Amino acid sequence: MDNAKSSGTKVLKETKNKIRVDFERTSKWERFKIKYFNGAFFAHVVFVLFRTVFLIGISYVILYPFFAKISSSFMSREDFVDVTVKLIPRNPTLDTYRAIIRDNYYVQALINTTILSVFCGVVQTIICTIIGYGFAKFKFKGNSILFMIVIFTLIVPHETLQLSMFMKFRYFDILGIFKLLGGGVIPGLKVIPFTSINLNNSYWPLAILSLTGLAFRNGLYIFMMRQFFKGFPNELEESAYIDGYSVYKTFSRIIIPNSFTMMITIFLFAFSWQWTDDFYTEVFFTTEGMKLMPDVVAVPKSLDTQYAGQNLYVSAIRNTCGLMIIAPLIVVYLIGQNFLVQGIERSGLTAD
Amino acid sequence: MTNATSVSNAAPKKKKRGSSLDSKKARAGWVFVLPFVIGLIIIYIPIIFDSIRYSFNKIKILQGGGYSLEFVGWANYQEALFVDPSFVQTLSQGITQILFDIPAIVVFSLFMAVLLNQKMFGRAAFRAIFFIPVILNTGLVARIDEGNQLLEYMEDTSDSIETGTENSSVTEIVSLTDVTWLFQTMRFGTGLVEYVTQMINNIYGIINRSGVQMLIFLSGLQSISPAIYESCSIDGATTWETFWKITFPMVSPMILTCAVYTVIDNFTAASNRVMTYISDVYNQAGGNVVSSAMSWIYFLIVMVLVGVVAGVVSGFVFYQRRD
Repeated sequence: MDNAKSSGTKVLKETKNKIRVDFERTSKWERFKIKYFNGAFFAHVVFVLFRTVFLIGISYVILYPFFAKISSSFMSREDFVDVTVKLIPRNPTLDTYRAIIRDNYYVQALINTTILSVFCGVVQTIICTIIGYGFAKFKFKGNSILFMIVIFTLIVPHETLQLSMFMKFRYFDILGIFKLLGGGVIPGLKVIPFTSINLNNSYWPLAILSLTGLAFRNGLYIFMMRQFFKGFPNELEESAYIDGYSVYKTFSRIIIPNSFTMMITIFLFAFSWQWTDDFYTEVFFTTEGMKLMPDVVAVPKSLDTQYAGQNLYVSAIRNTCGLMIIAPLIVVYLIGQNFLVQGIERSGLTAD
Repeated sequence: MTNATSVSNAAPKKKKRGSSLDSKKARAGWVFVLPFVIGLIIIYIPIIFDSIRYSFNKIKILQGGGYSLEFVGWANYQEALFVDPSFVQTLSQGITQILFDIPAIVVFSLFMAVLLNQKMFGRAAFRAIFFIPVILNTGLVARIDEGNQLLEYMEDTSDSIETGTENSSVTEIVSLTDVTWLFQTMRFGTGLVEYVTQMINNIYGIINRSGVQMLIFLSGLQSISPAIYESCSIDGATTWETFWKITFPMVSPMILTCAVYTVIDNFTAASNRVMTYISDVYNQAGGNVVSSAMSWIYFLIVMVLVGVVAGVVSGFVFYQRRD
């Protein structure tokens, strides 16, 4: 009030409780100038511009190969010789797709891989959730040593175990029991007529690995699950115990419903990495056996590639195979990507 | 378990009901991790043991089923290190390249995570795009992308239309000669300039390999309390200062995680040069035991490197005190 008087502002109306003063408002233009014509705002604009351009640029780098692959998959043979054809096919054709579906057992591979990936994805998610919960919430002797071994399984390059993994499932035997029973030291004791089972070319090796949390990158899933459960308040379980729930009932009724987002994240990882996996499928499945996705990547017999544009054409065919392999994954990703980001954000992954 | 029995032996009158809550919980813990323990005993330990054993043997598949081993001592290792013409070279090249890639990947993923963490128009769409490589560019697709002629051709925007000749050169986002010319007068090491140009031109590879790291950093950034940022802005800190004084120290444990993850991920990726070489050797006649030996050599180097990286990075890590 004093201020207003001293600066010579007109006092319009003065009552006991209120005072209305006519401030000399600065003009719109002045306010506009103060708000927008300063260094901070300018820096902000520059930053936002830079950020947008940068993000769009990187998005372009990520998406461009897909555009290139998609457009080239519709090109006909002639387009690869024609240097004026770059991104837009001049003679669009579906021949490549048709040939791959017809010659490369695509439908068979799709069905087999779907069964395998859904099964592995679900099993790995459940198993890793269980194991992760065990590591996160229970103190028992050997907890930390076992967890170190989990991380160890993540570090060992799988090429190291390629041969022995193949041998293990080619001559499958649990701790030498089959050999002992079937080895026939005493002829009358021959219970099992073989010394080992060949599990290769079946779903068994991957099923066994998934069931024991040893499949591809399961160490990472266990780690993520453990970190996620470490962030759970202990009171949640304690109150359940007080209400008379057992540890297992608490897990199935309270913990699992609360960790659904994270489980979907893990499922997405497990499913899609199993889908595009070429290591395990090549170790455990011979080319003559069950058709899986790696068998799709080949040049179909019915396409003639013996001509000038050969290299590019073959490359385009291989890329089309790749596109057809990931087509179902793209759908899954579009549905599930929201869960992926949310799940990771809530996991509170930390280094300790 | 042993604890529980000893307790009940020592004081049988006090605890007649059996085990205490703690030992009950310990037993439950074992039940939860049981699948892994079973797998460890019947699958993993035998596999590791076999792998080491095979690397010291020559292997023969018998016709009636089964196989026989012939102990050859260090011969496989000797062959890998001294007889094989290109293993050592591939190994050293592969390792150097990965070592150079690690800082680039970690810095890039931190930078991207900070950008993607800001509130802006289209954030969800950008995030969805940035995590595409994590899901889609793995395994088979990564293998198809290796030395992909199609992409080189498609990205090649040179004058091939005018001259009519096919230009097979790999496209460069930044030309090295231009950059060196630009920095000629400044006091930068040419090595550094070359490194940065190489990284920028290899941006596709780096983006492809930094998806999980980005997710890890993003989760770290989300866990920083907004109250800290608020008090910073009240105190008049600029965004730049806030980043270096608050964000960076707070996510530094994530940097450790990411660095170790990057080392492991890159070294065990099937698309990596050494891995490709080893699996080539595996497919050669009689090469499978040699490849076993090679991968054990490789694994030892990876272990040492993980240790070194973890040691170096953990020196810079700031841990928030949690009371």
